[in-house]
Amino acid sequence: MRPFTLNYVRPRALPIVVEPYSFDASLQLNVLGDGRPAVADRDLLLAVGTTTSTAGSQTHFDD
Amino acid sequence: MTVLILTSEQDVTADMVVAELNRLGAPVMRLDPADIPGKAVLSADYAHGDFDGHLSVNGHVLSMGGLRSVWVRRPGDPAAHAAQPSAWLTAETRQALYGMLYSASPAWMNHPGNADQARHKPWQLRVAHFSGFAVPPTVFTTAPRVAEQFAELHRDVVVKSASGPPPDDPAVALPTTLIGPGIDFGAVAAGPALLQRYVPKRADIRLTCVGDRLFAARKRAAPGQIDGRYGDTEYVWEAVPVPDRITTSALEYLSLAGLAYAAFDFAEDDEGVWWFLECNQGGQFGFVELETEQPIAEAVALWLSWRRPESRAPKPRW
Repeated sequence: MRPFTLNYVRPRALPIVVEPYSFDASLQLNVLGDGRPAVADRDLLLAVGTTTSTAGSQTHFDD
Repeated sequence: MTVLILTSEQDVTADMVVAELNRLGAPVMRLDPADIPGKAVLSADYAHGDFDGHLSVNGHVLSMGGLRSVWVRRPGDPAAHAAQPSAWLTAETRQALYGMLYSASPAWMNHPGNADQARHKPWQLRVAHFSGFAVPPTVFTTAPRVAEQFAELHRDVVVKSASGPPPDDPAVALPTTLIGPGIDFGAVAAGPALLQRYVPKRADIRLTCVGDRLFAARKRAAPGQIDGRYGDTEYVWEAVPVPDRITTSALEYLSLAGLAYAAFDFAEDDEGVWWFLECNQGGQFGFVELETEQPIAEAVALWLSWRRPESRAPKPRW
Protein backbone atom coordinates (compact mmCIF):
# COMPACT_ATOMS: atom_id res chain seq x y z
CA MET A 1 0.00 0.00 0.00
CA ARG A 2 1.26 3.47 -0.88
CA PRO A 3 1.79 5.68 2.22
CA PHE A 4 -0.99 8.25 2.62
CA THR A 5 1.32 11.27 2.35
CA LEU A 6 2.65 10.16 -1.02
CA ASN A 7 -0.84 10.56 -2.47
CA TYR A 8 -0.04 14.27 -2.48
CA VAL A 9 3.21 14.29 -4.46
CA ARG A 10 3.19 16.45 -7.53
CA PRO A 11 5.45 16.40 -10.53
CA ARG A 12 8.16 18.97 -10.30
CA ALA A 13 9.63 20.50 -13.41
CA LEU A 14 13.34 20.00 -13.17
CA PRO A 15 14.97 23.35 -13.82
CA ILE A 16 17.42 23.45 -16.67
CA VAL A 17 19.93 25.76 -15.09
CA VAL A 18 23.34 26.43 -16.48
CA GLU A 19 25.10 28.09 -13.59
CA PRO A 20 27.03 31.01 -15.05
CA TYR A 21 29.73 30.73 -12.44
CA SER A 22 32.39 28.28 -11.37
CA PHE A 23 34.30 27.59 -8.19
CA ASP A 24 37.65 29.30 -7.78
CA ALA A 25 39.65 27.12 -5.40
CA SER A 26 42.11 29.82 -4.45
CA LEU A 27 39.42 32.42 -3.65
CA GLN A 28 37.11 29.74 -2.20
CA LEU A 29 34.29 31.53 -4.02
CA ASN A 30 32.29 31.02 -7.18
CA VAL A 31 33.24 33.49 -9.87
CA LEU A 32 31.57 34.75 -13.03
CA GLY A 33 33.09 34.48 -16.45
CA ASP A 34 34.55 37.97 -16.11
CA GLY A 35 36.29 37.04 -12.86
CA ARG A 36 33.94 38.89 -10.51
CA PRO A 37 32.59 36.96 -7.48
CA ALA A 38 29.15 35.52 -8.24
CA VAL A 39 27.77 37.23 -5.12
CA ALA A 40 28.47 40.58 -6.76
CA ASP A 41 25.56 39.95 -9.13
CA ARG A 42 22.52 39.71 -6.88
CA ASP A 43 20.02 39.82 -9.73
CA LEU A 44 21.70 36.80 -11.21
CA LEU A 45 21.56 34.89 -7.92
CA LEU A 46 17.86 35.55 -7.62
CA ALA A 47 17.30 34.52 -11.21
CA VAL A 48 19.06 31.18 -10.95
CA GLY A 49 17.20 30.41 -7.75
CA THR A 50 20.08 28.65 -6.06
CA THR A 51 19.54 30.47 -2.81
CA THR A 52 15.80 29.94 -2.48
CA SER A 53 14.03 27.85 0.08
CA THR A 54 13.05 24.94 -2.12
CA ALA A 55 16.49 24.82 -3.73
CA GLY A 56 17.87 23.43 -0.53
CA SER A 57 15.07 21.02 0.11
CA GLN A 58 15.81 19.02 -3.00
CA THR A 59 19.08 17.77 -1.63
CA HIS A 60 18.71 18.40 2.09
CA PHE A 61 15.61 18.54 4.21
CA ASP A 62 16.53 21.85 5.74
CA ASP A 63 14.52 24.42 3.86
CA MET B 1 42.06 31.65 14.24
CA THR B 2 40.20 30.20 11.29
CA VAL B 3 36.56 29.66 10.42
CA LEU B 4 35.82 26.28 8.79
CA ILE B 5 32.85 26.07 6.44
CA LEU B 6 31.64 22.60 5.55
CA THR B 7 29.74 22.85 2.30
CA SER B 8 29.73 22.04 -1.39
CA GLU B 9 31.58 24.13 -3.94
CA GLN B 10 28.33 25.06 -5.70
CA ASP B 11 26.84 26.67 -2.57
CA VAL B 12 26.62 30.37 -3.44
CA THR B 13 24.87 31.14 -0.16
CA ALA B 14 28.12 30.14 1.51
CA ASP B 15 29.83 32.52 -0.90
CA MET B 16 27.87 35.38 0.69
CA VAL B 17 29.40 34.53 4.08
CA VAL B 18 32.90 33.89 2.70
CA ALA B 19 32.80 37.36 1.14
CA GLU B 20 31.83 38.87 4.50
CA LEU B 21 34.58 36.95 6.30
CA ASN B 22 37.07 38.25 3.75
CA ARG B 23 35.81 41.78 4.38
CA LEU B 24 36.27 41.26 8.13
CA GLY B 25 39.77 39.88 7.57
CA ALA B 26 38.84 36.56 9.20
CA PRO B 27 40.74 33.52 7.88
CA VAL B 28 38.45 30.90 6.39
CA MET B 29 38.74 27.38 4.99
CA ARG B 30 35.96 25.97 2.87
CA LEU B 31 35.85 22.20 2.64
CA ASP B 32 33.38 19.61 1.41
CA PRO B 33 33.59 16.37 3.43
CA ALA B 34 32.72 14.60 0.17
CA ASP B 35 36.26 15.44 -0.98
CA ILE B 36 37.90 13.37 1.80
CA PRO B 37 39.80 11.25 0.91
CA GLY B 38 41.15 12.70 -2.31
CA LYS B 39 41.18 16.42 -2.97
CA ALA B 40 41.09 17.13 0.76
CA VAL B 41 43.44 15.53 3.29
CA LEU B 42 43.09 15.11 7.04
CA SER B 43 45.39 13.90 9.77
CA ALA B 44 44.90 13.79 13.53
CA ASP B 45 47.22 12.44 16.19
CA TYR B 46 46.63 11.70 19.84
CA ALA B 47 50.01 11.38 21.52
CA HIS B 48 52.14 12.79 24.34
CA GLY B 49 49.04 13.69 26.33
CA ASP B 50 47.71 16.03 23.71
CA PHE B 51 45.87 16.11 20.43
CA ASP B 52 46.48 17.88 17.16
CA GLY B 53 45.07 17.62 13.71
CA HIS B 54 45.24 19.19 10.29
CA LEU B 55 43.01 19.63 7.29
CA SER B 56 44.17 20.71 3.87
CA VAL B 57 42.38 21.39 0.61
CA ASN B 58 43.18 23.40 -2.50
CA GLY B 59 46.42 24.67 -0.97
CA HIS B 60 44.74 25.87 2.24
CA VAL B 61 45.91 24.30 5.51
CA LEU B 62 44.12 24.40 8.87
CA SER B 63 45.53 23.24 12.21
CA MET B 64 42.98 22.21 14.83
CA GLY B 65 44.78 24.48 17.29
CA GLY B 66 43.79 27.39 15.09
CA LEU B 67 40.18 26.41 14.56
CA ARG B 68 37.76 29.03 15.85
CA SER B 69 34.39 27.84 14.60
CA VAL B 70 32.65 25.46 12.22
CA TRP B 71 29.66 26.34 10.05
CA VAL B 72 27.90 23.16 8.96
CA ARG B 73 26.22 24.59 5.92
CA ARG B 74 25.57 22.07 3.09
CA PRO B 75 28.25 19.38 3.51
CA GLY B 76 28.32 16.40 1.23
CA ASP B 77 28.49 12.93 2.75
CA PRO B 78 32.06 12.12 3.72
CA ALA B 79 33.90 10.27 0.93
CA ALA B 80 31.03 10.75 -1.54
CA HIS B 81 33.52 11.91 -4.19
CA ALA B 82 36.03 9.12 -3.51
CA ALA B 83 37.26 7.03 -6.40
CA GLN B 84 35.57 3.98 -4.89
CA PRO B 85 32.83 5.26 -2.59
CA SER B 86 31.06 2.91 -0.22
CA ALA B 87 28.93 3.06 2.92
CA TRP B 88 31.86 1.74 4.90
CA LEU B 89 34.24 4.39 3.53
CA THR B 90 31.71 7.10 4.36
CA ALA B 91 31.38 5.80 7.92
CA GLU B 92 35.15 5.62 8.38
CA THR B 93 35.67 9.11 6.96
CA ARG B 94 32.86 10.55 9.09
CA GLN B 95 34.55 9.07 12.17
CA ALA B 96 37.88 10.61 11.22
CA LEU B 97 36.63 14.08 10.27
CA TYR B 98 33.93 14.76 12.84
CA GLY B 99 35.84 12.96 15.60
CA MET B 100 38.76 15.28 14.94
CA LEU B 101 36.56 18.38 14.84
CA TYR B 102 34.75 17.44 18.06
CA SER B 103 38.15 17.01 19.72
CA ALA B 104 39.11 20.57 18.82
CA SER B 105 36.12 22.06 20.68
CA PRO B 106 35.29 24.88 18.26
CA ALA B 107 32.10 26.94 18.32
CA TRP B 108 29.50 25.18 16.16
CA MET B 109 26.82 26.58 13.91
CA ASN B 110 25.21 24.09 14.46
CA HIS B 111 26.64 21.17 16.40
CA PRO B 112 25.77 18.06 14.32
CA GLY B 113 24.29 16.27 17.31
CA ASN B 114 21.96 19.14 18.08
CA ALA B 115 21.19 19.55 14.39
CA ASP B 116 20.15 15.90 14.06
CA GLN B 117 17.72 16.25 16.94
CA ALA B 118 16.42 19.61 15.74
CA ARG B 119 15.37 18.19 12.36
CA HIS B 120 12.65 16.04 13.93
CA LYS B 121 9.32 17.78 13.48
CA PRO B 122 7.48 16.12 16.39
CA TRP B 123 10.28 17.29 18.68
CA GLN B 124 10.12 20.78 17.14
CA LEU B 125 6.46 21.08 18.07
CA ARG B 126 7.17 20.08 21.65
CA VAL B 127 9.99 22.61 22.00
CA ALA B 128 7.82 25.26 20.32
CA HIS B 129 5.12 24.65 22.93
CA PHE B 130 7.68 24.94 25.73
CA SER B 131 8.98 28.16 24.18
CA GLY B 132 5.59 29.82 24.16
CA PHE B 133 4.82 29.81 20.43
CA ALA B 134 1.30 29.33 19.13
CA VAL B 135 1.31 25.83 17.60
CA PRO B 136 -1.55 24.47 15.45
CA PRO B 137 -3.01 21.14 16.61
CA THR B 138 -1.03 18.39 14.90
CA VAL B 139 -1.02 14.62 14.80
CA PHE B 140 1.49 12.05 13.56
CA THR B 141 -0.04 8.65 13.25
CA THR B 142 -0.05 5.30 11.53
CA ALA B 143 -3.61 4.67 12.76
CA PRO B 144 -6.25 5.44 10.11
CA ARG B 145 -8.97 5.88 12.74
CA VAL B 146 -6.91 8.48 14.61
CA ALA B 147 -6.31 10.40 11.38
CA GLU B 148 -10.01 10.26 10.57
CA GLN B 149 -10.98 11.56 14.01
CA PHE B 150 -8.45 14.39 13.74
CA ALA B 151 -9.86 15.45 10.38
CA GLU B 152 -13.43 15.29 11.69
CA LEU B 153 -12.53 17.42 14.71
CA HIS B 154 -10.59 20.12 12.86
CA ARG B 155 -12.37 20.00 9.50
CA ASP B 156 -9.77 21.95 7.49
CA VAL B 157 -6.60 19.88 7.72
CA VAL B 158 -3.33 19.90 5.82
CA VAL B 159 -1.00 16.99 5.18
CA LYS B 160 2.72 17.57 4.98
CA SER B 161 5.89 15.55 4.96
CA ALA B 162 8.15 15.47 7.99
CA SER B 163 11.33 14.86 6.01
CA GLY B 164 10.68 16.42 2.61
CA PRO B 165 9.98 14.81 -0.75
CA PRO B 166 11.33 11.34 -1.53
CA PRO B 167 15.08 11.90 -1.91
CA ASP B 168 15.44 9.30 -4.66
CA ASP B 169 13.06 11.07 -7.04
CA PRO B 170 14.07 14.67 -7.82
CA ALA B 171 11.16 15.02 -10.25
CA VAL B 172 8.53 15.18 -7.51
CA ALA B 173 7.56 17.81 -4.97
CA LEU B 174 5.57 17.28 -1.80
CA PRO B 175 4.02 20.60 -0.84
CA THR B 176 1.82 21.08 2.19
CA THR B 177 -1.66 20.30 0.87
CA LEU B 178 -5.17 20.97 2.13
CA ILE B 179 -7.07 17.71 2.12
CA GLY B 180 -10.71 17.74 1.25
CA PRO B 181 -13.69 16.04 2.88
CA GLY B 182 -14.47 12.38 2.43
CA ILE B 183 -10.88 11.25 2.33
CA ASP B 184 -10.06 7.58 2.85
CA PHE B 185 -7.35 7.46 5.52
CA GLY B 186 -6.67 3.74 5.11
CA ALA B 187 -3.23 4.38 3.61
CA VAL B 188 -2.11 6.04 6.85
CA ALA B 189 -1.37 2.49 8.01
CA ALA B 190 1.37 2.27 5.37
CA GLY B 191 3.43 5.16 6.72
CA PRO B 192 3.28 7.87 9.39
CA ALA B 193 1.10 10.77 8.31
CA LEU B 194 1.56 14.31 9.60
CA LEU B 195 -1.78 16.11 9.74
CA GLN B 196 -2.17 19.64 11.02
CA ARG B 197 -5.10 22.00 11.47
CA TYR B 198 -5.04 24.44 8.59
CA VAL B 199 -4.21 28.01 9.55
CA PRO B 200 -5.86 30.44 7.11
CA LYS B 201 -3.07 32.92 6.60
CA ARG B 202 -2.63 36.36 5.21
CA ALA B 203 1.15 36.08 5.10
CA ASP B 204 4.14 33.80 5.50
CA ILE B 205 6.76 34.82 8.03
CA ARG B 206 10.40 33.77 7.91
CA LEU B 207 12.37 34.47 11.08
CA THR B 208 16.09 33.92 10.65
CA CYS B 209 18.07 33.73 13.89
CA VAL B 210 21.85 34.09 14.08
CA GLY B 211 22.93 33.80 17.70
CA ASP B 212 20.82 36.46 19.41
CA ARG B 213 20.26 38.50 16.23
CA LEU B 214 16.82 38.05 14.71
CA PHE B 215 15.70 38.96 11.19
CA ALA B 216 12.02 38.73 10.33
CA ALA B 217 10.66 38.83 6.80
CA ARG B 218 7.04 38.76 5.65
CA LYS B 219 5.48 37.81 2.34
CA ARG B 220 1.77 38.23 1.66
CA ALA B 221 0.01 35.04 0.77
CA ALA B 222 -2.09 34.76 -2.33
CA PRO B 223 -5.74 33.80 -1.81
CA GLY B 224 -5.94 30.08 -1.21
CA GLN B 225 -2.17 29.62 -1.18
CA ILE B 226 -1.33 26.82 1.24
CA ASP B 227 2.43 26.33 0.93
CA GLY B 228 4.33 29.58 0.55
CA ARG B 229 7.29 27.82 -1.04
CA TYR B 230 5.31 26.86 -4.10
CA GLY B 231 3.44 28.94 -6.64
CA ASP B 232 4.66 32.26 -8.00
CA THR B 233 2.84 35.32 -6.73
CA GLU B 234 3.32 39.04 -7.20
CA TYR B 235 4.42 39.37 -3.60
CA VAL B 236 7.98 39.66 -2.33
CA TRP B 237 9.69 39.27 1.03
CA GLU B 238 9.76 42.44 3.11
CA ALA B 239 11.60 43.11 6.36
CA VAL B 240 9.31 43.47 9.39
CA PRO B 241 9.97 44.05 13.11
CA VAL B 242 10.08 41.08 15.44
CA PRO B 243 7.38 41.27 18.15
CA ASP B 244 8.85 41.13 21.67
CA ARG B 245 6.92 37.98 22.52
CA ILE B 246 8.30 36.24 19.44
CA THR B 247 11.84 37.32 20.30
CA THR B 248 11.52 35.80 23.76
CA SER B 249 10.12 32.54 22.41
CA ALA B 250 12.67 32.26 19.60
CA LEU B 251 15.63 32.76 21.92
CA GLU B 252 14.13 30.23 24.35
CA TYR B 253 13.75 27.74 21.50
CA LEU B 254 17.36 28.20 20.37
CA SER B 255 18.56 27.72 23.92
CA LEU B 256 16.52 24.56 24.47
CA ALA B 257 17.63 23.16 21.11
CA GLY B 258 21.28 24.15 21.46
CA LEU B 259 21.23 25.96 18.12
CA ALA B 260 23.30 28.95 17.03
CA TYR B 261 21.36 29.33 13.78
CA ALA B 262 17.78 28.59 12.80
CA ALA B 263 15.14 29.74 10.35
CA PHE B 264 11.57 29.60 11.65
CA ASP B 265 8.48 29.45 9.44
CA PHE B 266 5.21 30.94 10.68
CA ALA B 267 1.76 31.49 9.21
CA GLU B 268 0.33 34.90 10.09
CA ASP B 269 -3.43 34.76 10.53
CA ASP B 270 -5.98 37.55 10.07
CA GLU B 271 -5.51 38.65 13.69
CA GLY B 272 -1.76 38.96 13.28
CA VAL B 273 -0.88 35.84 15.28
CA TRP B 274 2.30 34.08 14.13
CA TRP B 275 1.58 30.33 14.17
CA PHE B 276 4.67 28.13 14.46
CA LEU B 277 4.99 25.77 11.51
CA GLU B 278 8.57 24.57 11.70
CA CYS B 279 12.13 25.45 12.58
CA ASN B 280 14.80 24.69 9.98
CA GLN B 281 18.13 24.39 11.77
CA GLY B 282 19.98 24.82 8.47
CA GLY B 283 17.39 26.87 6.64
CA GLN B 284 18.23 28.89 3.58
CA PHE B 285 18.60 32.63 4.04
CA GLY B 286 19.99 33.86 0.74
CA PHE B 287 16.58 34.48 -0.80
CA VAL B 288 15.55 36.59 2.19
CA GLU B 289 18.72 38.66 2.21
CA LEU B 290 18.59 39.26 -1.52
CA GLU B 291 15.00 40.55 -1.37
CA THR B 292 15.05 42.41 1.95
CA GLU B 293 18.71 43.47 2.17
CA GLN B 294 18.78 42.28 5.77
CA PRO B 295 22.47 41.68 6.65
CA ILE B 296 22.12 38.00 7.51
CA ALA B 297 25.35 36.84 5.85
CA GLU B 298 27.22 39.52 7.76
CA ALA B 299 25.62 38.35 11.02
CA VAL B 300 26.68 34.76 10.30
CA ALA B 301 30.23 35.90 9.53
CA LEU B 302 30.41 37.97 12.71
CA TRP B 303 29.16 35.07 14.83
CA LEU B 304 31.65 32.66 13.26
CA SER B 305 34.59 35.04 13.65
CA TRP B 306 33.71 36.21 17.16
CA ARG B 307 36.62 35.75 19.57
CA ARG B 308 35.68 33.38 22.40
CA PRO B 309 37.53 32.21 25.50
CA GLU B 310 39.93 29.52 24.36
CA SER B 311 39.16 25.99 25.48
CA ARG B 312 41.11 22.92 24.44
CA ALA B 313 39.04 20.54 26.52
CA PRO B 314 35.99 18.86 24.99
CA LYS B 315 32.79 20.53 26.15
CA PRO B 316 29.38 18.97 26.74
CA ARG B 317 26.79 20.04 24.21
CA TRP B 318 24.28 21.00 26.87
